Amino acid sequence: MKKELLHAGVFCLLVSGWLSSSLAFAQSDPSGKKRITDTYAITNATVFTAPGQSGVKATVLIKDGLIVGVGSNLSLPNEAKTIAGDSLFIYPGFIDAASDVGITKPKDPERPDDFVSSNPSDEIAGITPWRSAVDQFSIKDSKVDDLRKVGFTIAQIMPDGGMLAGKAAIILLGAENSTNLLKENSGLAASFSGSRGMYPGTAVGVMAKFREIYDNTELSSQRSQKYTTVSGLKRPEITPTYSAMQEVLSGQIPVLFSTSSELEIRRAISLQKEKGFKLVLTGLEDYEEVIDVIKASGASVLVKLEIPDDKAIKAQKDDATEEVKVLNARVKKAYDEAVAQASKLEAAGIPFAFTTVGVKSGDIMKALQTMIKNGLSEKSALAALTTNSASILGISKVAGSIEKGKMANLILSTDSIFAEDSQIKHIVVDGYIYDYDTKAKKKDSKDGKEDGTVKIEGNWEYTSESPAGSSGGILSIQKEGSDYTGTITYDDPSGSGKATSPIKNVVLDGSTLSFSFDVTANGMEILVEVSGEVDSDSFKGTMNVGEFGSFPFEGTLNPTLIANK
Amino acid sequence: MKKANYFLAALLGLSIQFASAQVKKGSILIKNATVLTITEGTLENSDVLVQDGIIKKVGQNLNAPNGVTTIDATGKFLMPGIIDAHSHLGLDVVNEATAPIVAEVRMKDVVNPYEVGIYRALAGGVTISHAMHGSANVIGGQNATLKHRWGSTDPADIIMQDAPRTIKFALGENPTRVHGRGNNIQPRTRMGVEAILRNGFNEAIQYQKAWDSYNSESSKKGNSAMPPVNNERLQILSDILNDKIIIHCHSYRADEIYMLINVARDFGITKLVFQHTNEGFKVAPEIAEYTMGASVFADWWAYKFEVYYSTAYNAAILTENGAITSINSDDAELIRHLYHEAAKTQRYGGMTDEQALAMITINPAKQLGISDKVGSIEEGKQADLVIFEGHPLSSYTVPQMTFVDGVKYFDIKEDEDDQRLKVAPTEMVDAVMIYEGHDSRCMQDTEHLFETTNSLFQLNY
Repeated sequence: MKKELLHAGVFCLLVSGWLSSSLAFAQSDPSGKKRITDTYAITNATVFTAPGQSGVKATVLIKDGLIVGVGSNLSLPNEAKTIAGDSLFIYPGFIDAASDVGITKPKDPERPDDFVSSNPSDEIAGITPWRSAVDQFSIKDSKVDDLRKVGFTIAQIMPDGGMLAGKAAIILLGAENSTNLLKENSGLAASFSGSRGMYPGTAVGVMAKFREIYDNTELSSQRSQKYTTVSGLKRPEITPTYSAMQEVLSGQIPVLFSTSSELEIRRAISLQKEKGFKLVLTGLEDYEEVIDVIKASGASVLVKLEIPDDKAIKAQKDDATEEVKVLNARVKKAYDEAVAQASKLEAAGIPFAFTTVGVKSGDIMKALQTMIKNGLSEKSALAALTTNSASILGISKVAGSIEKGKMANLILSTDSIFAEDSQIKHIVVDGYIYDYDTKAKKKDSKDGKEDGTVKIEGNWEYTSESPAGSSGGILSIQKEGSDYTGTITYDDPSGSGKATSPIKNVVLDGSTLSFSFDVTANGMEILVEVSGEVDSDSFKGTMNVGEFGSFPFEGTLNPTLIANK
Repeated sequence: MKKANYFLAALLGLSIQFASAQVKKGSILIKNATVLTITEGTLENSDVLVQDGIIKKVGQNLNAPNGVTTIDATGKFLMPGIIDAHSHLGLDVVNEATAPIVAEVRMKDVVNPYEVGIYRALAGGVTISHAMHGSANVIGGQNATLKHRWGSTDPADIIMQDAPRTIKFALGENPTRVHGRGNNIQPRTRMGVEAILRNGFNEAIQYQKAWDSYNSESSKKGNSAMPPVNNERLQILSDILNDKIIIHCHSYRADEIYMLINVARDFGITKLVFQHTNEGFKVAPEIAEYTMGASVFADWWAYKFEVYYSTAYNAAILTENGAITSINSDDAELIRHLYHEAAKTQRYGGMTDEQALAMITINPAKQLGISDKVGSIEEGKQADLVIFEGHPLSSYTVPQMTFVDGVKYFDIKEDEDDQRLKVAPTEMVDAVMIYEGHDSRCMQDTEHLFETTNSLFQLNY
């Protein structure tokens, strides 16, 4: 009897096993990408649940995209996949409060034959408040992973366009099988940029046009209201511009004004004072002088996550004339003040967040470290990337900290997040795990070849992968004294065949090789930066193409190859 | 103890001043100067007492009240701050060149208090400049009258808030080139310019009517009135028709000057000033009778075809015909020595000292509608003052100190090599700075409109 039962049980198991696997087939996952489990336990890690909290040893349990437990005595379900977190630090996933990640600028509409530059249609003049960033976004864009790689899990994406570009949206930098949409229509993107060769062409025209649109949106809604209550009236003209502006006037969404300089900040605030809309100032670069003005306005603040280019101060020479030295000192002072600005915002008690619009992902950590070195507290830096941005975006309930019930958006790093040697090992977005390669600390030179350096002179055959497909060419490096020079060939972007550019800034640091070169495409000069590791005669790295993102780059040293000149 | 109290009081006083008003106002006593009042003659060996930015007393043997600094100006000349009726200093944008009428744009929106030219103007004794929209449009934007309160970083602080509204008009080659030849729209000719003006004003009348009738209708019970479309551009033209805004019109030729006089008369507009006005001498009696005068260059012409028929006697002829006449710079360099420009009217036309100085003080003040506040040294007026070493009309004169509202913003003894308020952290410093000629910004931001024309005709403006 007992035996029979057992047999039956085994049979059942077999059948159900067979059934369930066939069921999986029936649901069809020919890609094999389907997850084995959506439950993960990151065990015994150092967890920083929110800005200002010190790290505690804990296990984080996530299931179905949510954090279901944080603590030291969690009972882990059987289906949980365990990630040993003993040497890892866990932070809440970063939130990019305004971003151009994954955004492709829509094609400019064609000018009609009867185009009049003094009175163009709204769409041609960059007035497109009805557009949505969602329509311009692709999760497959390589910049999405670039941004995720440095810790970002959520971004408010801004549409590309003119003075009123369209509606922003909040998305997760998550799996490709989801729309990843958290909130559609989270704000209206505005800027002072005019349209070339037509009205409004300059900032002064844009401000006048903004007022005009605002006032007419108000009148338009008055007309529509009257039309619905009183009979015998002429049909009011409904335009997409006024309809889309309505949510701004009713206070449902804020205007996200791109204001990099203090004068632009003042201009946006003066429009806000005049008209009374909700204002978020975004892309701030130069703002120290107006911190009080910003505070008084009550506007939310998104600081550009970038530090000024240090080329100018690096170019300052000790043997300059006295006159130049005095001028140099002013520039140096301006630089020092610029990198300390964020700390002044903190001191003023303004809960700012960061924006990455126009920022290269690879430079983000260095920018944060520089701001921290210049007075910004780690607590405020982390808040600007998590809780503050969540609160400005109105998503504090679901994101910004590591708490039971919040979205499983996490950063798993090898050290305290802002430490210079810290590397990101995993990112969790919406419960999906993304793994990243971590490099061992730079080898001491004695670990290299006998003479302590790796050899890079010669001709390298390389390939690179990009959305345009795979391409390649020859990288030729020569040594001149202690410096390296050389050339690189690549597929000519403006035609067929190969083009050649000289390489510059060639630096070999231990086994890390980096260099850059300029590519001319469509009359535009694009800087390409390559950096990676040399291991005897192979090279593995990434290629950063201007603001287009970064792509894999691999090469092998071929002693018999002769570079095409 | 006493010292500490005084220090505290000074601190408190300062903080109260900052809290009550953004704009600084000073108190000073300038003693023993030769006072060129402009409107009330020259007073030898006289004192001027300023309190809270206002000229309180002009006389002799005045005593400084407690805490008021005394400046000894023995042997020096004191005159009212110089006023430039045509400038583009301190503006981030000069031309919204994209439509023949852009009356709705406001230069006050784009004032940039950081422009070092403002300090240089102060060093030339200029305390007020008229920051104008450019001349690309028949009806350009609304101008801003600036007070050179150097060091303020809030644009609102350097705008003369109690000055009346003014607007830029332009006739002749600039608007026809930008719109007609540049964009193939009206106006292509001087006739087109007049048509734009008349059509614009007629539309403004219709616009005002539509709103008037809506406003009277909508207050009635059960009305079915719908609000008209808002049009700031036409609203401003309507304000011009109601004489709420002073027109400052870029013009050269006599025929077009006379044309605008006729348009203004037809529409009942009286507040009209001509700018440049190189052929003003041909229609001087008409300008005198129907307008608020002309603001001219002392001797600058032949930079384009419509500016060939010119004379350095222009200002004197206009003055002798009774037209209010001022001398302007339209240039960041020329603005530094407007007193030299005024002196040229003595060489060409034999103007008296008072007439010549009036052209850079009370006359431009009249044209900007601020002559009740500035432009002369009179009790009750705002204390915009300049101390000169040597008579300001002498070739050897050097401005020593410049005051706005009784606050000293320039002192030749405290002048530093680098007076910029701000430098960029990314600025590359060059060892040599070379002056690159006139910096006329009348046509700034319009260059792209001429690309085709330039390549076709190889024109060089």
